[in-house]
Amino acid sequence: MKSIIRFAAVAAVLALVLAPCAARAADTGTANFTRYVALGDSLTAGFCSGGLVRNCQLGSFPLLIFAQATDRSPQEAASVFQQPLVSSPGISGQAVCRNPASPLFPCGVLRLVSLAGPAPTIAPIPGQAVPQNLTLPRPYDNLGVPGATVHDLIATTTGGFHDLVLRNQTAPGFTALQQGLSTSPTFVTLWIGNNDALGAATNGSDALLTPAAQFDAEYRAIAGAIASLGAKMALANIADVTSIPFVTTVSRFVPNPATGQPLVINGNTIPLIGQDGPLQSGDFVLLSATSEIAVGRGIPASIGGSGVPLSDAVVLTAGEAANIRARVAQYNATISAVASQHGAALVDASAFLNDARVHGVNVGGVTYNSSFLTGGLFSYDGVHPTAFGYAYIANLFIDAINQKFGGNIEPVDLYPFVFGTNGIGNPTASSVDFFDPAMVVMTPEAARSITDLAAKKKPVKPRRPRR
Amino acid sequence: MSWRRMFSVRWLAAAALLSVAGSPAFAAGFGIFEQGSRAMGMAGAFTAQADDPSLLFHNAGGLAFVDKTAFAGGLTWIHGNKAEFDGASPFPGPGIHHDQKGLSEFPPHLYYVSPINNTWKWGVGVETPFGLTTEWKNPSTFAGRFVSTKAALEAIDLNPTLGWQITPTFGLGIGAIARFSKVELNRNVPAINPFTQTAVDVAKVKIESDSYDRAYGWNVGVLHKITPRVSWGLSYRSKVSIDYEGTGRLTQVSTGNAQFDALVRARTPFDTDLPVKTAIDFPDMASIGVAVGITPRMLVEVDANWTGWSTFQEVVIVGDNATARAVFGPNTTNPAQVRGTVVPEEWDDAMNYRIGLRFTSGPTTQWRFGYVYDETPQPEEAVSPLLPDANRNGFTVGYGSTGPGLMWDVALMYLKFDERTRTHTFPNEAPFHGTYNTTAYLFGLTIGWR
Repeated sequence: MKSIIRFAAVAAVLALVLAPCAARAADTGTANFTRYVALGDSLTAGFCSGGLVRNCQLGSFPLLIFAQATDRSPQEAASVFQQPLVSSPGISGQAVCRNPASPLFPCGVLRLVSLAGPAPTIAPIPGQAVPQNLTLPRPYDNLGVPGATVHDLIATTTGGFHDLVLRNQTAPGFTALQQGLSTSPTFVTLWIGNNDALGAATNGSDALLTPAAQFDAEYRAIAGAIASLGAKMALANIADVTSIPFVTTVSRFVPNPATGQPLVINGNTIPLIGQDGPLQSGDFVLLSATSEIAVGRGIPASIGGSGVPLSDAVVLTAGEAANIRARVAQYNATISAVASQHGAALVDASAFLNDARVHGVNVGGVTYNSSFLTGGLFSYDGVHPTAFGYAYIANLFIDAINQKFGGNIEPVDLYPFVFGTNGIGNPTASSVDFFDPAMVVMTPEAARSITDLAAKKKPVKPRRPRR
Repeated sequence: MSWRRMFSVRWLAAAALLSVAGSPAFAAGFGIFEQGSRAMGMAGAFTAQADDPSLLFHNAGGLAFVDKTAFAGGLTWIHGNKAEFDGASPFPGPGIHHDQKGLSEFPPHLYYVSPINNTWKWGVGVETPFGLTTEWKNPSTFAGRFVSTKAALEAIDLNPTLGWQITPTFGLGIGAIARFSKVELNRNVPAINPFTQTAVDVAKVKIESDSYDRAYGWNVGVLHKITPRVSWGLSYRSKVSIDYEGTGRLTQVSTGNAQFDALVRARTPFDTDLPVKTAIDFPDMASIGVAVGITPRMLVEVDANWTGWSTFQEVVIVGDNATARAVFGPNTTNPAQVRGTVVPEEWDDAMNYRIGLRFTSGPTTQWRFGYVYDETPQPEEAVSPLLPDANRNGFTVGYGSTGPGLMWDVALMYLKFDERTRTHTFPNEAPFHGTYNTTAYLFGLTIGWR
């Protein structure tokens, strides 16, 4: 009897001692997250509400994937998985925030100021942001560059947000792909190509679309370079950029200034006027048109408008939208083929955004959809996700990775994102302090990342990928 | 820009209502099989005995053998011992723990049986074969509050029955069922606060049937006493489909932001009774049992019960005036059209198995013991704060005096639900993943005279 008691005591002590050693490790299947690099654009960077700011970057989908795949809390993960964090109120993608002549200068990401009146007021948060992680002696793990196209990934080393993300480069420098591969990653997420279509949608011109053949060649080159290192990949395809709130929110009819609803005269609504005359069914008026409409543009002179047509850049015609959708389908055919070719996990971001638009996605009784401001998926710029949207996307990646590589990575806990209890996504929240905001002097390159952004993206010429 | 379109009442509707169904009810699903303390002491294995007035519920075939007027009445106190939930990712996530409010319900039963002559007998019963209450503590912070904060269903059967003693050992009983039922559903309504881009409570909604709605069904049973020591019985109770008419009422919850509250208030019919309709298809059930007297003082009965829970495929709540339609969805009988708020349930038919032991301890006294294994009809995807069901194991003990004259019976049941974990969700439905643990005690008391 005594020996049994002694045995039990020893077993109990052993259990206590060994328990911490047996701490559960995430089951990643055949995927290996020892060195994980995220390549992509603003969506990979965790860009939100028109800018790059730490409180959204700390909820970027790559950081959340890394946390889940390495069984770390997001806090712990943020000190291992390195990102080009920017202090509040963030670095804006908007020229107005970077133009010293503007009364708004300096300013950061957007916020909703007021719901009063016929239209909500959305304005940038005033203040000067500071990059917080410039001295990291190696490339960032999150190399998502806001504004980057497929071509930029293999050809661009400076300019715009490249100066912040790729840092301190003297010509010719290294591309995001080169920097990412230089660290010998074991796993790469690649979500690129959104800007090859988005610029066309947000600037109302299908001429800005990257040609499908160029996209195909460059995308295959990128994926081939990653695969040649033996790294496993998760790819995401391109959503229908004509279904985002930036495109779908504004009615094509003249608004009643008192209510914001379409004006009705003798039982009829009156279409706004575009470059080709009254807007037709299927034409989209972009969020960027609101400032023109506010001063009477696009509104017939007979009912008090200026009679001047809306500018071409703020209207996406039905024909342009159809061309963009057709081109995105071509891009996605490439992405799907490349995923098969390299045995990569494929995230169907296009299906997700379509679900969100058609019937919403529901979590715990809360329905999220593609509506601007109240849909919960899109931040104040009408293009980029909210913190909840990024967390949901992280789970789409985790699902696809688990399926492809036979792992069992736990999904991200969405509760703090649903209720905002972690402060992620809220630039004014004080509770997101995962990371010591080391005070860093802003380098000329970093400063240029702010000052250079005003230039509108031009279509890029195909060029041989450089390795 | 007409961004205000986005604030239509539709988004309240979208998640607006819930399903009906509910909670630790006491036969799997939302059935309550405890309709007499004598049968309850043997875990409900009573189909082949049916020798007290509760035969009207357990097997109308027993009515054929009634030779003396008798009545009995009592109740079952259902006392929730533990009903807790632990969350899992992706929602509401690990670390979330919630408890249900301690359940305390007293479903009653009342029976009268009497011989007309040696062949024909009659009786009337009042039974409560379905019901449930699932109410969560701290409803304003409960993570499942947008699914359900409280669901309650009550069903009372009036069950007049005719018995026919076809031979001295073979009896048949046929009854009519008038079922009276009411239902109440409560939840909170979320919206995205545009200032924080996070979910906030903007309303509470309560849907309640106006009064007891009713529908009819029937039941039949046979009891065959093959020898004085061996009998078998078969009992069937039909499906009953009840259409409920009631009201939905939305009450505003302040978000703390006056602008947003004003916007919500301007677009939502708060504090108005909105006419709504719903329906519940109560399942049919069949029981078969065999009872054998092993010794003159000891009897054992084994029963199997089938319940047609596949009737419970979904809960649809519709509005029947313009405002209610806007909130709860159109009222149409065309299934191709949108049918209001639809909560998928997709239950399956389910079995339960009962074994009971009866020990005659004195001239009129009996000890009883029983065990029931009750299979849940609920698929994992439908397990929710509205009705978290699971397979159950019930252990019973009972004691009683059989008369003549005063009859009384008491019974105690310990009911342990298997741990139930949900990690899957129906397509396009909301995940609410986690693990439910439930146990309950039931106390039965029935007093009668014959």
